[in-house]
Amino acid sequence: MRPADLTPLARDVMKLPASAGLVFFSILGAYLLAVLPWSGTWLLARPDFVLLVVVFWALHEPRSIGQGVAFAAGLLMDVTDSMLLGQHAFAYVVATFVVQIFRVRILTFGLGEQTLHMLGVTLTASLVMLMLNLLLGADFPGIAYFFSPVLTAALWAPANWLLYSPAVRRRRGGAPQ
Amino acid sequence: MIREPPAFFHRGPSPLARVTFFTLAAIALMIADHRFHALETVRLSLSVLAHPLEQLAAAPGAMMGRVADYFASQDRLLRENRELKVKVLEQSTEAQEARLLKSEESHLLGMTQAKYASNGVIAEVLYTARNPFTRKIVVDKGLTNSIQAGMPAIDGTGVVGQVTSVGTFTSEVTLVTEKDQSVPVMIVRNGLRAIAVGSGKDGSIDIPFMPVSADVQNGDMFVTSGIDGTYPPGLIVAEVTSVQKNAAYVFAKISAKPAAGVDYHRYVMLLPLPLPSAAPPESKADESPRKGGRERTRARRQGP
Repeated sequence: MRPADLTPLARDVMKLPASAGLVFFSILGAYLLAVLPWSGTWLLARPDFVLLVVVFWALHEPRSIGQGVAFAAGLLMDVTDSMLLGQHAFAYVVATFVVQIFRVRILTFGLGEQTLHMLGVTLTASLVMLMLNLLLGADFPGIAYFFSPVLTAALWAPANWLLYSPAVRRRRGGAPQ
Repeated sequence: MIREPPAFFHRGPSPLARVTFFTLAAIALMIADHRFHALETVRLSLSVLAHPLEQLAAAPGAMMGRVADYFASQDRLLRENRELKVKVLEQSTEAQEARLLKSEESHLLGMTQAKYASNGVIAEVLYTARNPFTRKIVVDKGLTNSIQAGMPAIDGTGVVGQVTSVGTFTSEVTLVTEKDQSVPVMIVRNGLRAIAVGSGKDGSIDIPFMPVSADVQNGDMFVTSGIDGTYPPGLIVAEVTSVQKNAAYVFAKISAKPAAGVDYHRYVMLLPLPLPSAAPPESKADESPRKGGRERTRARRQGP
């Protein structure tokens, strides 16, 4: 049976698990991008790289990466962004939950439609954080705040090319065609 | 009798159970952090972990800056040097006068004990805090340089803000433009006391609760009054840019522009907190110094 005969979901299930190193270093790389000295409007519109990578692995490696990793990554982001401890964690956990619920559905689509699904996920995470901060008395930071989830979703396809292909290549190289 | 089917694949709790658990954990964390400030040690230890990574991310930019510094033109350096020399000459007379005034003042007030333990610490601004909801900067001095929460931060022209959170190697300075960040001030021209409160917008400070009849004009300079025991008196805070007096309201609407380059400085000076033994002079006790803003009470709680 050739990989092309399988449904997208079956192809995702049949592939070999991604190596722990790839998962770890992809999250680390996303974190390094996030802690670049962003400021002003750039900061508002900064894509949430860590959320993107965590959600990617929650979609493709559901057995190893889930809400626990999302929670831990969120705490790290709270500390580095000097926000109230727990709000990134909250948003990441909710986003991961949405991905876990819709996982089978998302995987049946191509990258374009997946990007639209991701837009919903990233908007959910951003809205959670916005609501929390508004509840705590902050002012609305400006419309550029909503560029961030849009940019994050737009990075879905590049993230796939970067992260998914190494995992697939392992399968092609290792298994007889 | 109904028996559960055997589990072929161990999957653990359902996603819904997990999300409920983690949501409750996150909410508990937020309450603990917001209400009780109970998690400073957690934050501190996580920030120690994150510090090398942040430095790694900042390394390319810092290297570029160093290369640019190295190739700075001779001409520009010479010009800067000349300007600075002129400035030093101009300020030296003022400094001598100030020294004389200070000694007279100390005689008059009978201040036999030193009010401050040490001089200020100069800190380099590393970056703007990556939090779009607040106005903070991160500087490169922390617990290792005996920085305390509550220390005022100034630059060459005025008050920048106040240290609100101290890490091991870095600390956060909340700018005076941050919402609800308040500084007790007075007008230089007539000694009228007020509270300057950040508006949450860049480059603007509000002066709330001033009666319509108050003597405030455009261009008035606000300096710290020193009655709070945190900011030393006489530091320039802001200049009044607009005064709207409408008889329909009880208070005038006064906005001011911060004197310090709040958004674009590279070095700030962190001033020491007054020693606890140095009590404020008796005559000012009846003026009931207002403690405005959350940050101040927080800083006070963490103080010695």
